[in-house]
Amino acid sequence: MPWNAATAEAIGATWLLDAIAPAGSFGRRALARERPFLRGDEDAARDAIARVASLAAKMSAGDLAAMRAAIARAPDCADVFVRATAGATLDDVDFFELGRLIRAIDEVARFVARESFAARAIAEVRAALEPGTTNGYGFYLADAFDATLARERARANAAQAAFDAERSRIGERVANFAGIEHVRDGEFVLMRDAIASVLPQEIRVVREAPTYFLCEVALDDAARDALAQRDDAIACVSAAEEAVRARLSRAVADAAMALESACDALGDLDALVARAQFALAHACVVPEIASDGGYALVDACFVPLRDTLAERGRTYAPISLELDGIGVVTGPNMGGKTVALRTLGFVGACVALGVPVPARAARVVLVDDIVWLGIGANADPDDGLLSSFGREVIGLRAFLARDPRRAIVLVDEFARTTSPREGRALSIALLERLRERGALGLAATHLAGIATAAKVAHFAVGGLRAFAESPAPLDFDAALARIARAMDYRITRGDEDAAASSDALELGAALGLDAEFVARARTALGDARTPD
Amino acid sequence: MDVAREILARARAVGSRSIAVVGTSKNAGKSVVVAALTSALVNEHRVFGLASIGRDGESFDALVAAPKPRFFLREGAVVATATVLLPRTPGLEILEVTGERCALGPIAIARVRAPGYVEIAGPPQASAVRRIVARLATYAPFVVVDGAVDRIAALRGGDDAIVLAVGAASAPTFDRAVEDIAALAARLALPLHDGSGEAIVVVGALTARAAAEHARSFGRMPIVVADPTRIAFGGRTFLELREHLDLRCEHALRPVACTVAPIGLERAFEPRAFARAVAQRTGLPTYDVYAQAVA
Repeated sequence: MPWNAATAEAIGATWLLDAIAPAGSFGRRALARERPFLRGDEDAARDAIARVASLAAKMSAGDLAAMRAAIARAPDCADVFVRATAGATLDDVDFFELGRLIRAIDEVARFVARESFAARAIAEVRAALEPGTTNGYGFYLADAFDATLARERARANAAQAAFDAERSRIGERVANFAGIEHVRDGEFVLMRDAIASVLPQEIRVVREAPTYFLCEVALDDAARDALAQRDDAIACVSAAEEAVRARLSRAVADAAMALESACDALGDLDALVARAQFALAHACVVPEIASDGGYALVDACFVPLRDTLAERGRTYAPISLELDGIGVVTGPNMGGKTVALRTLGFVGACVALGVPVPARAARVVLVDDIVWLGIGANADPDDGLLSSFGREVIGLRAFLARDPRRAIVLVDEFARTTSPREGRALSIALLERLRERGALGLAATHLAGIATAAKVAHFAVGGLRAFAESPAPLDFDAALARIARAMDYRITRGDEDAAASSDALELGAALGLDAEFVARARTALGDARTPD
Repeated sequence: MDVAREILARARAVGSRSIAVVGTSKNAGKSVVVAALTSALVNEHRVFGLASIGRDGESFDALVAAPKPRFFLREGAVVATATVLLPRTPGLEILEVTGERCALGPIAIARVRAPGYVEIAGPPQASAVRRIVARLATYAPFVVVDGAVDRIAALRGGDDAIVLAVGAASAPTFDRAVEDIAALAARLALPLHDGSGEAIVVVGALTARAAAEHARSFGRMPIVVADPTRIAFGGRTFLELREHLDLRCEHALRPVACTVAPIGLERAFEPRAFARAVAQRTGLPTYDVYAQAVA
């Protein structure tokens, strides 16, 4: 993937991969075969996303769910195909699983063209297995497969009945002698004081003790003959059953290649359906994938956050942004700067994975690398020995060393844990380097003047409007909802305002800091501004 | 008398649609009891399911070549077992391959179509055992579960009638064998908590140490566990601690009978005396499947 684990978490790529996870093993295998779309794959990416969008447009959510459920029911028969091709005789569970696979494919074929699934080969295997299908779902090596099998089974049943009769005859004599209702198979105990006479020849003593005999039934010649005939009949049944299995296995072997390709098609469809479900669920659009330029998003959503907010009964403000080159976004705390970065990354991940974009409209470019720097990029290459700043620098160094042809770089308050003066200097140097490389990127910061100094575009979050309700509620969720209602999350491009506020004091009050504390901070802010 | 038929009648009398046989140790005669129960169900022309709680000890049986009863099943029986253990001849009707697994691989449910021997294996997790039993119940109105020595947790959440098995091979002495089965019976027959008065409610398992501390701190205030399988100690420890505690549960189990296997490889107990002692100490009807007798 064109991102590391820390970036995947930050931009929601991990979440996205879960959301578009296939339902079955074939789909998982198909996903493993895929590689992300990078720069130069524009045509392939357009085709892939168009296929997803086409399926999402053609089918209802209910049909997609039904198709996914059918795919999930398809067992993984790859091992069966290999063994059949190698000449092995399959077992009844294999035939059962093949039946399930064919039924799953039949079900899927209700929705898509059957030709995709090696229709002829499947029909042949279905016909071969048909006599063994029980109640529409089970499998039994039924007599209908072969006249010899039916004949041998009838003989075995008769032989078993004959042996049972002999065994019962002896058992009854023993039971009568012992005064018990019946004699169990295997060893049994006779108490000495319950025996009136010498043990009959049908009873063999295994062990003697002062108060009892441990015995078993001794078969006579007639019973032994019946047993031998039964065993012989069962051996013939075994041979007949194996012959049927061998014949069915050859039929499977003949169709194995076609069946494997059908399973591959099922896997591809699985991956496609998962993406179509995502596209449908999140009102995604087919983005324009340009070869050059940047991102232009209209009402784009960072879906993981939108879902979380929806669970809490809150609404999400989509983001519109046009980014061509490097930009800096400033604005108040809690104003959506970081979400803007995540949205760019999430859209990039969607396109790289061939998924329509959760937006009203989008123009994007493919990149070779999506990089998250700053807060949230917590991958620590040195087992916790590095400080936050050290981790940021190591992450930056690794990115600079890679030098991809094109990257999208998302920078969240880079170097915020060092002195503001030096942090600002490092941020400017980073943005200049990115600009020189022709990268695409957005940096969120509270530091003023960075965009101007680095000669990159500047974006500002609308910011906090007056609170419509007051005072601040004590309930945390209610306080957040109140702030959300007062916040203008829109991002506009324009010149930097050196005196722009981060609204930190107002937000602190809105989140429940006591009035005296906030007043003290206001005083300190006034004092702090004086020396400037 | 037919001992197995009597045990089945006891299970039905408490309203159970399944019966689980658990033992105090290996070679307690569980499989003999299961074989007798299945045989009785066949004689009654009843369709039944057969499952196992794990498969521990089966390889050990093979090592010591101990004669264990094989499950000779007749047409109609439904079994849950590892796919690799399904006999090739006579072939079974495969009904489903479950999502559950045991050490030998996936577990299938199959219907016997012709008389033959079947070896059964079950999943190690208690919850998976319950799911397997529930699946079997969709094919058969009654289910027999072959227990494993240390898998009593699998009884949790079921409505099985429970048969407790003890054998001469289970313990070094007659007294110890009787004591072990008495402890197991007492543990599984824990009385229900009626919800009145003060009580210590234990979330999860109750260890011996925790039980002893409760006894020291709270005297005979009732200690309530979710069900008897949450008691994480048995044998003599349980019997001794029980004297100082008022142990209760929120969901009771249904022990209905004991069975004895008085003759083992290394030692044998006098059958009648053994069965009588077990019946006396457990308070449960005690059957000797070998002698077709009840104490």
